[in-house]
Amino acid sequence: MGDAELVRRVLAGEVELYRVLVERYRAEFGRYATALLGGDVDEAADALQEAFIKAYDSLASCRQPDKFKAWVFRIVTNQCHNARRRRRLHAPLETISTPASETADERLNTGEVKTAIGAALEALTEEQRIAFVMKHIDGRSYAEMAELLNVGQDALKMRVHRARDEMKRRLEGVV
Amino acid sequence: MTGRDRFHPDVQRYLDGEHVEGVAQRDIEEADRFAKAVLEYGASAEAPDARVDAAVMEVVRARVSQREGSFWQWLVQPNLVRIRPALMAAASIALVASGAALVSLLPRTSPTVADAVPTVLVRFELRAPEAMRVTVTGSFDQWSGDRVELQQNTATGVWSGTIPLTPGRHEYSFVIDGERWLPDPMAHAQVDDGFGQVNSVIVVGPRGVVRS
Repeated sequence: MGDAELVRRVLAGEVELYRVLVERYRAEFGRYATALLGGDVDEAADALQEAFIKAYDSLASCRQPDKFKAWVFRIVTNQCHNARRRRRLHAPLETISTPASETADERLNTGEVKTAIGAALEALTEEQRIAFVMKHIDGRSYAEMAELLNVGQDALKMRVHRARDEMKRRLEGVV
Repeated sequence: MTGRDRFHPDVQRYLDGEHVEGVAQRDIEEADRFAKAVLEYGASAEAPDARVDAAVMEVVRARVSQREGSFWQWLVQPNLVRIRPALMAAASIALVASGAALVSLLPRTSPTVADAVPTVLVRFELRAPEAMRVTVTGSFDQWSGDRVELQQNTATGVWSGTIPLTPGRHEYSFVIDGERWLPDPMAHAQVDDGFGQVNSVIVVGPRGVVRS
């Protein structure tokens, strides 16, 4: 069932159908939220939960139910932004697990790289971080990013390019 | 990394997924290492699990219970129907009685006419003398855009129409000539729709318009 139909039915009183929307976009936006929050999955879970509740509370404001995905994406992004503002993240990358098959040396090396990438991401501006994560971690096209963020593709390319350059500078000698 | 402090524009295009020619193999390898390392970093980031869904639905169900409780209290307790004084003069939206035939006969200052009916007839009005066509749409018709057409009084330039609304909070907007969305300038509240547009808000109780 499409988003628009689900939204209409939820608004008409079939509230249990809201779970379908939550499952759908918790799965799709989950890793994005975790990456924006420096790898802290618990904080990402809180941000997603708050975002979906906010979305439910203002569901009647969703003038274009077929664009529910973009609407929720922006609410999730705002919640992550608020979470970042609420508290500084100190050692978030400890929560990121490494595959068990790696040797001790590989794990050490991989851990260093991940720590460095996490720190470099933290150094980006909010706009650059969002665009970079969408492009390189979520693997989205510029067209899809433009639709989700309601920002032009040229502006998004510029953000991603600047983010890459900043990341490159900070990862010199690591990657 | 190669020591240069930024990616060459062609390498940026390569990383964007575009076809590029003439880029040094060393630069391509560097770009691939960069993209792979970031991808691995992302892949190791955990996504929140289904406990989020359960927690959200718990709150949603509680919201529904609260709303039903409030509605019941509203029904059984005496209530005062409040209408903005400005409403009477400017008449952006006027409450009318249940019974379409009576609508035009009722004075706009009769907001307390109320039957405990499942819907309340609400009159929407907008002064737009230049418009060729005006509709009102909102959460009550799933933002269809064009189902509820208003009729023009050519002498005054005021477009109006009456529609049944269920008790509760509704968001709405006028649509001028099928393309320009216009929030009600007389509404008591306007809210952001999340896409940079503004919706107007009306609150309807079982006995009439509570806020408009």
